Amino acid sequence: MNDETIIATEKLDLWYGPARALLDITMEIPDRRVTALIGPSGCGKSTLIRCFNRMNDLVPGCRIQGKVTFHGKDIYGNGTDPVGLRRRIGMVFQKPNPFPKSIYENVAYGPRVHGMNDRTRLDSIVEESLRRAALWDEVKDRLSAPALSLSGGQQQRLCIARTLAVGPEVILMDEPCSALDPIATAKIEALIEELKQRYCVIIVTHNMQQAARVSDFTGFMYLGRLVEFGETVQIFESPRDELTENYITGRFG
Amino acid sequence: MTDKFHDEIAKMREDVLAMGFFAERMLSDAMTALQKNDVSLAEDVKKRKKQLSHLNDTLEEEAYRLIALYQPVARDMREIACALKVISAAERIGRYGKDIASVVISLADTRSKDLAIALSLPHMGNLVISMIDDALQAYATGDLSKIAAHSERDDVVDALRHTIFREGITYMMEDPRTITSCMNYLMIARYLERCADHSCKIAEKVHYMVTGERIEIK
Repeated sequence: MNDETIIATEKLDLWYGPARALLDITMEIPDRRVTALIGPSGCGKSTLIRCFNRMNDLVPGCRIQGKVTFHGKDIYGNGTDPVGLRRRIGMVFQKPNPFPKSIYENVAYGPRVHGMNDRTRLDSIVEESLRRAALWDEVKDRLSAPALSLSGGQQQRLCIARTLAVGPEVILMDEPCSALDPIATAKIEALIEELKQRYCVIIVTHNMQQAARVSDFTGFMYLGRLVEFGETVQIFESPRDELTENYITGRFG
Repeated sequence: MTDKFHDEIAKMREDVLAMGFFAERMLSDAMTALQKNDVSLAEDVKKRKKQLSHLNDTLEEEAYRLIALYQPVARDMREIACALKVISAAERIGRYGKDIASVVISLADTRSKDLAIALSLPHMGNLVISMIDDALQAYATGDLSKIAAHSERDDVVDALRHTIFREGITYMMEDPRTITSCMNYLMIARYLERCADHSCKIAEKVHYMVTGERIEIK
């Protein structure tokens, strides 16, 4: 891979109590590209991306072995601040989860928590983030309206804007479209295409056509292992592993 | 993607294969008609053209329908891509069969019919038909050994066409009354050579379908 690696894992294992959820995952994720993770439910996709910003730290009984590096630095090593890490590696979830506040406050919340109080700076961060999340034109006249008054697709883009507001480098998306209709989905997909100009995007999806459409690289996971990882075109045209082939052509189980 | 989809794909492969053999049969019957000067068989081959076009249209539609409904990937996508190429190659082969049948009919009353045999057209025909047959067998079974020698076999067919061309010129110079029939026979040699090329196209696509790797035969 010629692209610059931003996140890498090396022989990563993860246990939830006695259950091993990830086995021996070694992969390199390129910067400013979209990487999709596909695989059946319970295969470890979400668990894997939650390792990238240490969200699994919050799960009781979760134990990790192996290495995850961000810009070459071990994120589980001493001296990594998980909160600072999560600012640089943001996350968007399956169901839009805006705070029960105004549209403006949702986006301004992160920068405020990080100590930004200058109203003019906040205004410009809010506008810039909403623009980058392709939501500005739809909400610029009602920034003080409640975020929950937005449609599902708009709420999801608001959550993306909220992630962008703290200036991340990586955006993790866990099934970002599965609660959205096809039109809202198409908007998010177009947005992902835009986002990769500036950010590394890692998306977990059950929708294989979506993975094929939006990503540059695809990883197929099964029972906690990374079975195959490669360029998306190669994975969907002629996968090397029979398991991958059987999964993406629906010949499973 | 359901099992229904894979049943439909399997059915499509059977239908495409049937069309391939239908076209191959048009060519082989045309060559038999040429050899035996059998005008009624030649007429029969000509009539099959309509059915050939119909098969081409319906199978093409079927392939597009499967793409539109199931958005196939990987092996399934390659299978449908291959089917589309096989039907258009088969259609060309069948139409060359029809063209050869037309020559048989138009030359039925000339005196130089034995020239076709002297020019080893039947031999060339057999080589080409066996190439088509093996390419279709490979498509049916995925057995790539059937098409492993296609490049060399195509070279033999090309060389043969060259020889026939030179021999034809010799006959025409010896006896200008043979010019009309000789010219037609040279056209047949050309059609046969094109049919061999189409069998190579089928072989290339079968190779892609089975392995995912694109090759060029020749």
